[in-house]
Amino acid sequence: MADAQDLRFSGLMRATQQGDGAAYRTLLAECAVIVRGVVRAQRAFLQPADIEDLVQDVLLSLHAARATYDPARPFLPWLMAITYRRLADGARRHARKAAHEVQVAGLPVTSAFAPTNMSEDIVGDPELLAAALASLPPGQREAVELLKLRELSLREAAAVTGASESALKVSVHRAMKALRVALRIK
Amino acid sequence: MSTDTTDLIERLAGSAQPVRRLAPPWRRALWWCALALAFVVLGALIGPAPGVARMMSDGRFLAEQVAAAATAVLAAVAAFSSAVPGASRRWLWLPLFPLAVWIGTIGQGCIADWARLGSDGLRVRADWSCFGPMLAVGIVPTAVLCLMLRRGAAVRPSLSLALGGLAAAAATNVALQMFHVGDVSIMVLVWHVGGALLLTTLAAWLGRWALPFPGQQSGRAL
Repeated sequence: MADAQDLRFSGLMRATQQGDGAAYRTLLAECAVIVRGVVRAQRAFLQPADIEDLVQDVLLSLHAARATYDPARPFLPWLMAITYRRLADGARRHARKAAHEVQVAGLPVTSAFAPTNMSEDIVGDPELLAAALASLPPGQREAVELLKLRELSLREAAAVTGASESALKVSVHRAMKALRVALRIK
Repeated sequence: MSTDTTDLIERLAGSAQPVRRLAPPWRRALWWCALALAFVVLGALIGPAPGVARMMSDGRFLAEQVAAAATAVLAAVAAFSSAVPGASRRWLWLPLFPLAVWIGTIGQGCIADWARLGSDGLRVRADWSCFGPMLAVGIVPTAVLCLMLRRGAAVRPSLSLALGGLAAAAATNVALQMFHVGDVSIMVLVWHVGGALLLTTLAAWLGRWALPFPGQQSGRAL
């Protein structure tokens, strides 16, 4: 049974190598079913969309490597070698991606837990903040108002004030430092 | 079947063109060996050819060169075989036997040199004079072998390129011996065999980068 299936695949692949699109369509569709079964068995923890991605990877590699198939040899070991290689590539890709990503749980914006809103409490006194802002030199105050309060871009703020972007960066940096001291924020 | 996969199958089947089947590994290895042999002959022609004269008179040296040449041929067959998915893995062990004979004959030479010259026969020194000729006779066969391997589909790229590196290094050693004035065996062991093993290790390290699997990037091209 397995030999008959292999012979059939081998015949379809031989026709594919000669440019027969219909034979290729049949071969790819039947290979996709086999490959999907292997991927599901080997990577049972994956979501269906990820399994389908791997199946497509294998089909693309089958397409690119079809010249390496020798019809005198069995087809299924050739297909399985490609499948396992692409599964290993997928695992490597996943490991690389996981190493560069930090999974963050969705934290609540507000909660009864005091430390969540701690920064809000510190600058929660608008009068204190207004006094601290008023104590800044005019250039620094303007920079904070434009960049932090009105949330303009550096380019927009430079256009409004006529100062250079780097001068604005320096002003806002110094202003923030002075505000931290005035509001006693560490 | 998912719609995306069905679409992909339609696109792949729609772009079906006749493809030229890759030649069997042994035939590809034969082509590469013919090229490498041309560089061995080149080595014999550009140098004073002490290697050829020595081969005629020194049985151990002849055995060493035959073993190195057999390592090159069988490592090339194994490398090309490993670049065909699903091919038998038995071929991969083939180069180990001539490699052992190659190292063994050099070891035998080391013992003979020690008996003849005492500790001078085992002294290792830096010899940069053969570096230029080594590049001259070795770089083209190595590059061609790498390009030929890229036409396959290396399921284990590190192993394929390591075998390719061993084949190229062994062939380069034979070419180099054609115009290299007879050195003590320890120098051959350290620089030639050491160089071959270093190239093999480096090739194994670069394998995954140098031999990407077909289709890894083609998804974007479709």
